[in-house]
Amino acid sequence: MAEKLNKLPKVTEYFCDEDQFSPGNACCPGCIMELNLRLVSKIMGKDSILLGTPGCSAPTIHGQNDRAWHKHSYYACVMTGVASSATGLARYYKKAGIDATIVCHTGDGCAQDIGIQTISGAAERNENIIYICYDNEGYMNTGVQRSSATPYGAATSTTPVGLKSIGKTTNSKNMPMIMAMHDIPYVATATLSHLEDYAKKLTKAKEMVKQGFVYLHVFCPCTVGWKVKPDSSITVCRAAVQSNYFPLWEVGNGAYRITQPVAKPKPINEMLKLIGKFNHLKDQEISVLQQQSDNRFSILQALCSIRA
Amino acid sequence: MTARSKNIKVITGNTAAAYAVLRCRPDVVSAYPITPQSELVEQLAKFHADGLLDCEYVAVEGENSAQNVACAAVMAGGRAFTATSSYGLVYMYDTMLQTSGYRAPLVMVNVNREPPGIHAVYSGQQDMICTRDSGWIQIVVENCQEILDTIIMSYRLAEDYDIQLPVMVNYDGYYLSFLAESVDIPEQEDVDRFLAPLKEQPQRMKLVAGAGTGCGSHGIGMGFVEYRKKHMAAMERSKELWDKIDQDFKNEFGRGYGGQIESYRCDDADIVLVATGSAVGTARTVIDAKREQGIKVGLVKLRFFRPFPVEKLCHILKGKKAIGVLDRSICFGWNCGPVFQEVCALTRHIGIMPMLSFIDGLANMDITKEHISGMVDEIYKASQNKPYQELTWLP
Repeated sequence: MAEKLNKLPKVTEYFCDEDQFSPGNACCPGCIMELNLRLVSKIMGKDSILLGTPGCSAPTIHGQNDRAWHKHSYYACVMTGVASSATGLARYYKKAGIDATIVCHTGDGCAQDIGIQTISGAAERNENIIYICYDNEGYMNTGVQRSSATPYGAATSTTPVGLKSIGKTTNSKNMPMIMAMHDIPYVATATLSHLEDYAKKLTKAKEMVKQGFVYLHVFCPCTVGWKVKPDSSITVCRAAVQSNYFPLWEVGNGAYRITQPVAKPKPINEMLKLIGKFNHLKDQEISVLQQQSDNRFSILQALCSIRA
Repeated sequence: MTARSKNIKVITGNTAAAYAVLRCRPDVVSAYPITPQSELVEQLAKFHADGLLDCEYVAVEGENSAQNVACAAVMAGGRAFTATSSYGLVYMYDTMLQTSGYRAPLVMVNVNREPPGIHAVYSGQQDMICTRDSGWIQIVVENCQEILDTIIMSYRLAEDYDIQLPVMVNYDGYYLSFLAESVDIPEQEDVDRFLAPLKEQPQRMKLVAGAGTGCGSHGIGMGFVEYRKKHMAAMERSKELWDKIDQDFKNEFGRGYGGQIESYRCDDADIVLVATGSAVGTARTVIDAKREQGIKVGLVKLRFFRPFPVEKLCHILKGKKAIGVLDRSICFGWNCGPVFQEVCALTRHIGIMPMLSFIDGLANMDITKEHISGMVDEIYKASQNKPYQELTWLP
């Protein structure tokens, strides 16, 4: 038995509860958003309350399907009202002396477009809530439209490639950095190719939420919207980390730290090749994206050096 | 009447509302300031800062969040309060629909003001009209004392196990929000006793951590239809209960408002004017004067706007020779006032008679005694089978 346990992946050491989800999956083949949510559930524990909104995680969180579900208590919100609804729950439970972990789980469209005001407000008030944004770089659930998380050059249904268009012409918002600038107790990035790193951050989030607002930004490729092979989502995650396109970092109480430093970063093109939405890009456009990625990483490095 | 002590203060409508909220002991107050409501949320912040109001006071970053915070707090099992006006009301509209759809018994004050379109930081009931089909119970009141009393009564209605619907208490911006008059502030123990019956009822469903409870699953097919039908049925039930709560309040505090509507000198009247809000006081004075001139005119003060007090109105209006309706808002697409349009819909119960629409008091234009006198004259003319104007804009 002991031998068998030793073979379990290390990430299981962070689990505090059994799987709260039923077998089956309401998501598209190869989707890792659902894997993400199961991991969150196992580490946050069965008594955490999940908040969601219409989007890809809606089928899983609040039952937009009759196939797979969970045993958590949950609260479905309008897209403008996730962090504010979480505030309402957290404040009432505080007043009533009830201990509950409040976990918001939405896509980037909600977190950094239509719901950014309410997240920013809740962060500024330092509410005791955990907000997890699964970033699939656009409105995937409604048919792959662009969001403010869609990167330069990506083809989406509202930034299509055409004779006069190369796809999206502006950069994405650097949402985790925007949240870090709120000076909240804890902000981190994570992705599904680095499960232990993510698990540590979730465990830390559960602790830090006692001090106030916690924001986790999770890179979460969409196989359908990004035109990625169903078996390649995790490969894309790893490539994003190894090219510093999506560096894994955290900031707790003002101290920035890259949690998975990459010794020899690969060119961003290594990742782009795996993703169909970038297939049309030429060298010049790829270099724009590379430059933007490098700039962001330099800022992160500078922040990390402040207290190093 | 068991509550006897008098604690009279000269306070504004906004302050009266704040005292009502204080007495109702909410768990969570979410608030965002807007003219002409700001004084209300400032007063609540002061009560909270002074330790008088033991609640979580959430100073949100916008009205949309104010509504979300309050709705979630109620769904978690708490008592919540929020207040807004005009732009704020329409900015929280998506969540207002969620609040009523969730059957969250929230009480909210809306201080009536002209909504966006033509910029006007002025009184008008158009904001309330914009949200008429939101599934909320909507009440309009006339004076500062009624503001205070109605908020207290509204918690009894909203949180009643058989109702579980949000209630919006409306009062005219400026004319009531900033009007100072003497208000009797009830004792805490008396309000506690008045709200106590709620505790004896079955507990409503709430969101409990670890219990596998949920809010807002997709209402698929028949589940959706059943939910809608039950919502509508609860709203219908609220009419009779509101009349009873009003009576209970009168027994306890000595002040009653007639429930869904107040009928003034209507019994022997030939003609009737229907009005809402602060204009009713002015109208009452005019009705008395006209009575002295021999015109048999009555007045109906509409307190419930949603649900519409169909039965009560039919009972009073049936057999009258002409009816006029005073609106402080307009009804796009029907070329009349909104309440007028709804009163017209009663004809299938009360038959055909001349009905006159008066639009007055938009954007802080005073509804004067002269205006109302002219309205009564026109309604009287119509009752005498003389030519009359169906729609009149004033001034």
